[in-house]
Amino acid sequence: MTVIMAIAGVEVRRFLRDRSNIFFVFVFPLLLILLLGSQFGANSGQARVSVAGNAGTELVKSITGQLQADGLRVTHDSPATVREQLSRGRTDVGIFISDGAAAAFEAGDPADLEVVASSHSGAQAALQLVRASVQTVSTQQRQLAVLQNAGIDADTAAAALRQAKEHLDLPQVEIVDTNDVSQDFRSLGQFDLGAAQQLLLFVFLSSLTGAATLIQGRRFGVIARVLAAPVSTGQAIAGQALGRFGIAVVQGGYIMLGTAVLFGVDWGNPLLSGLVLVLFCAVAAAAAMVIGSVMDNDAAGSGLGVGLGLVLAGLGGSMVPPEFFSGAMQSASRITPHRWAYDAFATIQRHDGSLLDILPQLGMLAAMAGTLLVLGAFLLRRSLGRAL
Amino acid sequence: MQSAATADVRTGTEDVLAVKALVKRYGDQTVVDGVSFHIRAGEIYGLLGPNGAGKTTIISMVAGLIPSDAGSVNILGEAMIPSSTGPKGHLGLVPQELAIYPDLTARENLRFFGSLQGLRRKELRARTDEVLELIGLADRASEQTKKFSGGMKRRLNIGIGLLHRPTLLILDEPTVGVDPQSRNSILESVERLGTEGMAVLYTTHYMEEAERLCDRISIIDEGQVQAEGTRDELIRLTGGVDRIDLRGSGNTSAAAAGLKKVPGVQRIDGGGGGLILTVLDGPSLLPAIVTGAGSAGMALTSVKITRPDLESVFLHLTGKALRD
Ligand SMILES: Nc1ncnc2c1ncn2[C@@H]1O[C@H](COP(=O)(O)OP(=O)(O)O)[C@@H](O)[C@H]1O
Ligand SMILES: [Mg+2]
Repeated sequence: MTVIMAIAGVEVRRFLRDRSNIFFVFVFPLLLILLLGSQFGANSGQARVSVAGNAGTELVKSITGQLQADGLRVTHDSPATVREQLSRGRTDVGIFISDGAAAAFEAGDPADLEVVASSHSGAQAALQLVRASVQTVSTQQRQLAVLQNAGIDADTAAAALRQAKEHLDLPQVEIVDTNDVSQDFRSLGQFDLGAAQQLLLFVFLSSLTGAATLIQGRRFGVIARVLAAPVSTGQAIAGQALGRFGIAVVQGGYIMLGTAVLFGVDWGNPLLSGLVLVLFCAVAAAAAMVIGSVMDNDAAGSGLGVGLGLVLAGLGGSMVPPEFFSGAMQSASRITPHRWAYDAFATIQRHDGSLLDILPQLGMLAAMAGTLLVLGAFLLRRSLGRAL
Repeated sequence: MQSAATADVRTGTEDVLAVKALVKRYGDQTVVDGVSFHIRAGEIYGLLGPNGAGKTTIISMVAGLIPSDAGSVNILGEAMIPSSTGPKGHLGLVPQELAIYPDLTARENLRFFGSLQGLRRKELRARTDEVLELIGLADRASEQTKKFSGGMKRRLNIGIGLLHRPTLLILDEPTVGVDPQSRNSILESVERLGTEGMAVLYTTHYMEEAERLCDRISIIDEGQVQAEGTRDELIRLTGGVDRIDLRGSGNTSAAAAGLKKVPGVQRIDGGGGGLILTVLDGPSLLPAIVTGAGSAGMALTSVKITRPDLESVFLHLTGKALRD
């Protein structure tokens, strides 16, 4: 065991010595998740509303309050800025409240608001939400006006309305997706889906490029030297794999934690998603050992690692969600560890799955890791008889 | 295979390494073909042969890195095959190609390989420092080895093999591509190891190194042992005799007549300005020859001994030059 730890330790030490590793393993994935999340994930998250109008007026206050209560993200800006945000798709809906409208609202008269939706796809849904909120505000205002007209003073009327609302749960206008797939994604936050996909993609990818360090080790002759010491091939492979595994787990754990803290990604039960991550990392590390024992050129090994890492990620649903796959692709995706891990994450994240629910996926990942590790040990032994 | 008559005088001590009828084939090419030899403690044993002779392949089987197709390797009586980790603990391997991590420091390299040999904590630290001192890298210990010169890397490569004080040290062409100064210090260290009782298996294609270092030598060509023995035994295979050139003035013919009577002198040629003597074991006869020439009235201005070397032995055995 100390031998395995020593080999793993050197692997980690060498990894840390190369600063570019730090960037590609720790910084780059989070940047990409941020980028993809803000690009594609907007419509599955909070709708963004920009309000232009005098912030001190009752109308602006009421509408802002209601929008926020309805779960929209509200910002205030000048009309020009809001228009620009709309044109660039940085906000979903813009509400323009003129001073005249604000005054009319305070006087209890009808007030006209200019509501503009951005042209991007998620904006229409946001517009529906804004309409509902505005409707609520105007209903309240009309009720208030009715009560005041009946001779009740403003404060009492407002209190009565508040009380009535607490007892009377008004039906909320909500936009419901009819498509099954969208239904499945509805409980996901803006970054949740992308984070799981990118996690799998990056952990596997950076592990596979670890094959290059094994090939280097063989080319440097250090692997032969290790095996000339009282060390078995199994221990040599296990040590190397453990090093790569450790790096992958740290990377994966870091992405999980980072996305949870920075982007509010919900990973579900942390113990279960941690378990999925650990087994997935084991497969990734073992796969690197197989490539590292078969290939004799470390640059070619890196290339193959990146290529295979991307192909498997695509096939396994780390680029396009596998829910969108056709029948044949569905089956094909199950040869990848990504797919099994993806399904396990989906079960945990979206359906609050238990250990029992993800047992098949965990078992499959464990079997993949074990098989690849044994294969790697066999191939490494064989590689020594080959001229490099 | 020609065997020098007295090569196999057993001293009664156990062999550290016994190699018997070792065979390795790649495809239909037999690159090691029935090689046998044994090494005792304190003995420096050389495998001398040109590039491609099969030296590294022999060593790879001795170190249990690749399986043999026939024959056996025993280290301190234990059979060595690739899966046996037991005998590997007695072994220090210094591979022909540098086997060090370029992105680790000298100390990290030593500590890593030391830990694989079961050295722990205090012992590991102490041995690492000792070896760093020994290979003259103590002041560069914390530098990544990719910044080292070729000679420094070679010394570290050897240091790693020595770390756990192996019973058998295997050095595969340790001086290839090394500057003369480093080369000399490497040879000196190896000589010292032999006197400290370590068994050393040393391969080279430089005959001077084999001559200088090795107690016994196998001459290897095309995967076979062509001859084995001490340097002198091997040279005797050529029917080898030394040549002594005497230059000087005075009575050379009287000197020639006198020197003929010195035992070991086989022939005398020449006259006038000098004599050429064909003798057995020139160096030991030299004092008698110099005195004999002087007393016969010849004033010597120069004396030169030319000895047959392993190069001539190799040429004699294979009809080829050792150098490629
Ligand atoms: N893995 C291998 N596959 C095929 N041929 C090999 C292999 N390793 C060595 N050889 C061949 O075996 C012969 C002996 O090589 P080697 O043991 O390296 O010689 P040396 O160390 O004496 O220079 C050479 O002809 C070499 O090409
Ligand atoms: Mg060689």
